[in-house]
Amino acid sequence: MNQMLIRARKSVFLATGISLLAMTSALAGEVTVWSWDPNFNGATMKEAAARYSASHPDMTINLVDFAKVDLEQKLQAQLASGTTEGLPDIVLIEDYGAQKYLLSFPGAFEPLNGKIDYSGFAPYKVELATVDGNTYSMPFDSGVTGLFYRTDILAEAGYSAADLQDIDWDQFIEIAKVVKEKTGHPMLGVDLNDAGALKILLQSMGGWYFTADGQPAIAGDAKFKAALSTYAKLLQTKEIYKPVSGWTEYTGGFVSGEVASVFTGAWMTATIKAANMSGQWGVAPLPKMPGVEGATHASNLGGSSWYVLSSSAEKDEAVDFLAEVWGKDVDFYQKILVDQGALGSYLAAREGEAYKASDAYFGGQAVWQSFSDWLAAVPAVNYGIFTNEVDAAVAAQLPALAEGGSVDDAIAAIDAQVRAQIQ
Amino acid sequence: MSRVFAQARSGLVYAGLSLAAFVSIFPFFWMLVGTTNTAPDIIKGKITFGSALFDNITNLFAQVDMVQVFWNSTFLAIVGTVLTLAISSLAGYAFEMFPSKTRERVFAVLLLTLSIPFAAIMVPLFVMMAKLTLINTFTAILLPSIASVFIIFYFRQATKAFPHELRDAAKIDGLKEWQIFLYIYLPVMRSTYAAAIIIVFMANWNNYLWPLIVLQTNENKTLTLVVSSLASSYYPDYGVVMVATVLATLPTIIVFFLLQRRFVEGLTGSVK
Repeated sequence: MNQMLIRARKSVFLATGISLLAMTSALAGEVTVWSWDPNFNGATMKEAAARYSASHPDMTINLVDFAKVDLEQKLQAQLASGTTEGLPDIVLIEDYGAQKYLLSFPGAFEPLNGKIDYSGFAPYKVELATVDGNTYSMPFDSGVTGLFYRTDILAEAGYSAADLQDIDWDQFIEIAKVVKEKTGHPMLGVDLNDAGALKILLQSMGGWYFTADGQPAIAGDAKFKAALSTYAKLLQTKEIYKPVSGWTEYTGGFVSGEVASVFTGAWMTATIKAANMSGQWGVAPLPKMPGVEGATHASNLGGSSWYVLSSSAEKDEAVDFLAEVWGKDVDFYQKILVDQGALGSYLAAREGEAYKASDAYFGGQAVWQSFSDWLAAVPAVNYGIFTNEVDAAVAAQLPALAEGGSVDDAIAAIDAQVRAQIQ
Repeated sequence: MSRVFAQARSGLVYAGLSLAAFVSIFPFFWMLVGTTNTAPDIIKGKITFGSALFDNITNLFAQVDMVQVFWNSTFLAIVGTVLTLAISSLAGYAFEMFPSKTRERVFAVLLLTLSIPFAAIMVPLFVMMAKLTLINTFTAILLPSIASVFIIFYFRQATKAFPHELRDAAKIDGLKEWQIFLYIYLPVMRSTYAAAIIIVFMANWNNYLWPLIVLQTNENKTLTLVVSSLASSYYPDYGVVMVATVLATLPTIIVFFLLQRRFVEGLTGSVK
């Protein structure tokens, strides 16, 4: 009995010595892609690969999905380690972070000029992935903005679609006041921890947190002041918005039917359509900045692009794949628009059926035609490498601004925080 | 009068405890409710049970190879726990039973390493694993964690309460050191082991950053990585996320309840 016990215990300790085998295998012709959101980014990549493999049967795609922040951390750690083993062939990078990777890891990504005809893409998408004359990205989804609004609530307040064309933010605030007074619905949901709205206002007039050479454009920058003043005015008109906290509550505001409008990227279309309020929504141009030269109705929030790693063994195939499908296949862009609601940055795609189709959900409006009009007009800016840091500094000042704080004080505080962080 | 006072007091205590219980249990309740609702319902804040449970489960299994992922996490957690306990308890035992000046210094250095955050050693560790061609293997996840300084420290502290007379008596009876460890020390310290199992199992099961960095394929991913990926979609299907979260929570709950009694004993340092 005792002997058996000894033996049993011995075997437990022996078992701890088992070695675990490696499980990596890279097939020839297999292109590995890292992205986030398998139902959106992953699905579009799968569709692209299916089209490419029709003429290139050897090519297979290996999609690995991570959460966006996870992917960024992983890519950062791996590039910083200097070892290229385990890096994918193609990786998805959010546009705001593109410059950071391109400047921090020179040589890690493959320049694609000459292999892709960039003249066919929205200029701002090309600009954000360009460093020293080399462009590195295959531009993917655009966060071109619009004003989504509830047509029924606006009608109840006495406004039609025509009243929302070519308005500025001052007029928007006046309309919102009337909507609140007549219908009781807040016009917007506002998250004071989120700087997204300010980024939209800035880019709509060609402004950004940074100058072309990467210096902070905050204190003393006329566009930054104009954007923050306008946003502060909106925040101080408390009756027109519902304060929310976090993404779920933000989208919940309009999905539940309480909030009457939202100005954001075109990608919100899918969330709005998930709310089952067919015929009750419309899309208007983004209101423009009042009294600013160069103000437009076009801006952007979010969006991402594909990049090829220079270390990739399947580099040529990966580049050819991107150029063949993502670079020129208009049909492909129709398919991902219909199936995933993904609005690409390829301008010729607007000539396709899906882009021209009217949408009953939006009262028969051809929303994708509108979005692609604005897409071509989004001002190109330099996103720089510290967008996240400035976002945090801006968000820290929003609560004070909403309580009537001075815009100049807020700008000084943001500028100080940013300069302290990016030293 | 004093009875009324005592009753009022215990009433207050119970009210406080009930509130604490509610605060602790509500997230679990909401998680369970969430598994039965559709994403739009969850966003709207519905806290009653719905009828989407089956759809959510089907969607989860259609999106992710859950069997594989669950196996990966289970395998890593169990093997990791067994190895960590074997190595670290032996070390803790040795540090306490065979004291010397040099060992004290080694131990002090080990304790110092506790203050180095993992993020600081992550990149060098990755380079090391790449040189050993262990990227994307479970070995790369297990190796850095099996000699756990915290568990060594914990076992050393617990061993201080182990009656040395027992060891002396066993020696007189002719037992070798490894026999003393296996037949005398192990059974006596089972509460300590139970508490350590819970701590190490939970740490391994919830391990996130290092597996994220070192694992490269969908087949090798762990449950924590999958939950994180599901929750970060542009339009997260919260019903599906909740089902995955329940699956990710269950094993630690089960392990905890199985070893709960011993866990308390182990933490309070009692030796039977």
